[in-house]
Amino acid sequence: MGIDSFEFTVNLLKMIVIFMMMVQIVPLLVWVERRGSAFIQNRLGPNRVGPLGLMQLLADAVKFLTKQEFVPGRGYPALFYIAPVVAMIPAALAFGAIPLSMPVNVDAFDWLGQHWGPYVFKFQSYEIGIGIVFVLGVSSLAAFGVLLAGYGSNNKYALFGALRASAQTISYELAMGLAIVGVILLFGSFNFADIVNAQAAPLNFMLAGHKVELGFLPNWGIFFQPLGAVILFAAMFAETNRLPFDLPEAEGELVAGYHTEYAGFKFNMFFIGEYGHMLVASALMVTFYFGGYTLYPFLTPETAPKIMAPIAAMFGWSTTSTAVSLLGALLLHVVLLVKMVIFLWIFIHVRWTLPRFRYDQLMDLGWRKMLPWALFNTIATAVLILVMRHNWGA
Amino acid sequence: MWEAIAFYSLAFFLVFFAFKTITVPNPIHAALYLVLTMIGLGAAFFNLGAQFIAGVQMIVYAGAVMVLFVMVLMLFDLKAELRSFSKGLFSGGLKVMSAALLAGLAIGAANSSVAILDTQDAAKPTMDVTRQLGILLYTKYLYAFEALGILLLAVAVGVVAVSRIKGGTHAQH
Repeated sequence: MGIDSFEFTVNLLKMIVIFMMMVQIVPLLVWVERRGSAFIQNRLGPNRVGPLGLMQLLADAVKFLTKQEFVPGRGYPALFYIAPVVAMIPAALAFGAIPLSMPVNVDAFDWLGQHWGPYVFKFQSYEIGIGIVFVLGVSSLAAFGVLLAGYGSNNKYALFGALRASAQTISYELAMGLAIVGVILLFGSFNFADIVNAQAAPLNFMLAGHKVELGFLPNWGIFFQPLGAVILFAAMFAETNRLPFDLPEAEGELVAGYHTEYAGFKFNMFFIGEYGHMLVASALMVTFYFGGYTLYPFLTPETAPKIMAPIAAMFGWSTTSTAVSLLGALLLHVVLLVKMVIFLWIFIHVRWTLPRFRYDQLMDLGWRKMLPWALFNTIATAVLILVMRHNWGA
Repeated sequence: MWEAIAFYSLAFFLVFFAFKTITVPNPIHAALYLVLTMIGLGAAFFNLGAQFIAGVQMIVYAGAVMVLFVMVLMLFDLKAELRSFSKGLFSGGLKVMSAALLAGLAIGAANSSVAILDTQDAAKPTMDVTRQLGILLYTKYLYAFEALGILLLAVAVGVVAVSRIKGGTHAQH
């Protein structure tokens, strides 16, 4: 394979850091969720422990870790233990496959009396050529965590929650997949990096054999796929089991749904899974429709290293391409994070704004409204691309 | 060498999960083992360089079909099935027969595909594999592909028709 120990170590560290990033964002999001809900509902929220109530997260973590272990007597202990892990894995795997910034170029250098060749490190846990298919495939396994929890608990509320969750996931997965097909058709690739790079350019399309370019707008997917973006975002709410689609844990009817029997750290892992799915959802929205880690015309993979070069010089670092490339990648990573935070805030704001759907409304929306619209979007996109990119004798 | 180790450990787990699928008495546990088999199959496709098929395997079989399967199984009262499949001469015979079938399949597959690890190196994709697959599906195998689509449509319409005749929540009175 031609992979040396330096490359191997960096790749391993990268995986761990990105996973820890996902896990560490969860308590912050919980804090934002609680303070945000208080802000929306004109309350104060947790503000006693530490500045702005930030230490509340630490207190929560200690509480999660020290709670009593509990396994329902008549359930299936093996499935009961596996379920929280299964709920967490899909989100972690999917998040690892999404590029979080541009690749970092590392020049050849001498270290420990050995020569280490030039490297290119991708700013993601692992690069898979058909990233979109992988992310869809992995996140479709998320339903099993909920199903195992509901079945392993041997509790009627939990089982009902699990059944609702799986029915909901299957229904909305179709609309989600079809909405993404529009993006794949538009950019002609299954690869996230290709899609992001295509969006780091001025808005351009073919019209009657001529290339039309609108220099003041970036080439973002949202300008071509507004309907697809709305459908995907709505389906993502259903996939993450959040309000207004949180029927699996409807507390008024099902106590707490599939995680009724879970407490302590096992419950926390379901939590991490849910917030991990929010992260994946907002990363996908940003990557598909809002330019990913680029911000044309200011910050693109070409301009970011040039912007960071004087800063590297200011700190006295040699302006080799390694340092500059790393700083540029970090700058673009911040761009992605800012965009993701906007979407995460929308997730939280919607949760505290809209009431829960009734079950028949949920199914109606999924099968009779979103699926036909997603199908329409796919066909319309395909026909439009065929007509507009056709060479009309020009 | 590493590829051979990966392949054979994967193959071992696949056969083990498939074996458990047909031998565990509880239908839901059997379905869950089938899920593991499907995921393992996806990994096997990935290992052989067929990334797109691997992804589709995960989305369609492991993600959608098996979720439906497990969900429907959970709706039933399975006490009678549990009893009848956990003991008795009949179910024992069935288990032995399906285990023999699986073993025969495994031996046959192992016999006919000794060179399975060499083909991967030989067929280094010059073009995007997904693109190749799409071009093949929509040119050479277009009629088979479309016929399959019509077959699936007929099945879907048939299911709706049957569920409407036999009563249930969507019955027409």
